[in-house]
Amino acid sequence: MYPATIEQYVRPRTVIEALNAVARYAAGEAIFLAGGQSAMQAIKSRMLRPQCIVDLQDVAELKGIRFDAHGLTIGAMTRYVEIADADLRGGAFAALGDAASHVGDRQVRNRGTIGGSVCWNYVAACTPTAVLALDGSMNLLAANGGRRSIRADDFLLGPLETARRDDEILLSVSWAAPPPRTGSAYKKWGLVTDALPVIGLAIRVTLNGADQCSSARIALAGLAQGAHRVAAGETRLVGTRGDVAAIDAAMTAVANAADTHADMSADADYRKQLIKTIGRDVALSAFARARA
Amino acid sequence: MLTIKVTVNGTEYEETVAERLLLVDFLRERLALTGTHVGCTYEGVCGACTIHLDGEAVKSCMLLAVQADGHAITTVEGLAGSALSPLQAAFTAHHALQCGFCTPGILMNMTEFLQRYPNPSDNDIRHGLIGNLCRCTGYVHIVKAVREAARTLRQQSS
Repeated sequence: MYPATIEQYVRPRTVIEALNAVARYAAGEAIFLAGGQSAMQAIKSRMLRPQCIVDLQDVAELKGIRFDAHGLTIGAMTRYVEIADADLRGGAFAALGDAASHVGDRQVRNRGTIGGSVCWNYVAACTPTAVLALDGSMNLLAANGGRRSIRADDFLLGPLETARRDDEILLSVSWAAPPPRTGSAYKKWGLVTDALPVIGLAIRVTLNGADQCSSARIALAGLAQGAHRVAAGETRLVGTRGDVAAIDAAMTAVANAADTHADMSADADYRKQLIKTIGRDVALSAFARARA
Repeated sequence: MLTIKVTVNGTEYEETVAERLLLVDFLRERLALTGTHVGCTYEGVCGACTIHLDGEAVKSCMLLAVQADGHAITTVEGLAGSALSPLQAAFTAHHALQCGFCTPGILMNMTEFLQRYPNPSDNDIRHGLIGNLCRCTGYVHIVKAVREAARTLRQQSS
């Protein structure tokens, strides 16, 4: 658990300097370091052996939480503690607060970032799952100046895989202004409090004028494929008022559709039970927040 | 190798270090500040190496020394002035340590915790302690000590 030799460490002050620093190395030889609460583990275990570390801690343009007419933008280097403490203005983005306030421990939340988490895309991670349920978009800038914005559905490709190319930097995660009467929530279960999720669930619902669910997004954490949506549950929530029977039916559909596995933390059936139990809490909370 | 400038417990150091040197080893082996402990094998799971980086509790095994360039660090050696800090005194009074190995990390984490949350519930304290493993005490005395330190600090500031 000690890093292999690192040839170069640089600490740019702008995203352009950061992109140029990475571009001086062959693909994969230089890495961006955000909060480092996952990447440093991989570097110490030598799963990652970067020749160059480009530390983003001083890049001010990557930091901050901004609400404007277009919606919400969170800079890639914004830390969990800042998201957990932020006023996320009602229920629509509340799942982000739920997730950020229970990542790891205080020390991790003082350092870890939303951008690092979505770009690392660990199989059992809270943030990518919440970002996915909330339909976030990843805003990327390439060394050649090219910009693109990719929805979480297309960005989170699988465990430790994203659509970000090595020559791109994540600037921010952003969301369109949510429709009225939108609520979201995230909750997980792990072996100890706030541990990595054995199962985590994020749900966002929007209600119409008749107080029925008009759209729903359900995302799961902890299964082998990483953060992913479960359409079978989403369609069952739409049209309901979010009563317990309707939610239980939808969460049973999620559990049935989920490809659960057995390991030392939980067996496959227990994971399905966790999905139903946590899913009920999360859905009830999302509906309640949509009505608040 | 890079030359870094770091202020540790109020003293400025200029040291040349290898890029891969972990901050915890820089503190322990270069600066001989061995109060910061390594309780796991640098896996970031035990919290014994918790320090303050610009006033915030972080695990020093999760950082490279070069990342601390230009920053101010406080280690457990910097907590006490002429007398123990209220939290240190409360740890003594409540027997909040047995072997003491985890204590530096807990003191550093809870010192910042109490600055942010001056009036925590026991549940808040327990939630705040998640990142620090203690294999002796069962945490009961630690929670008591943090609670008393909170009370003392509130009295001092009022």
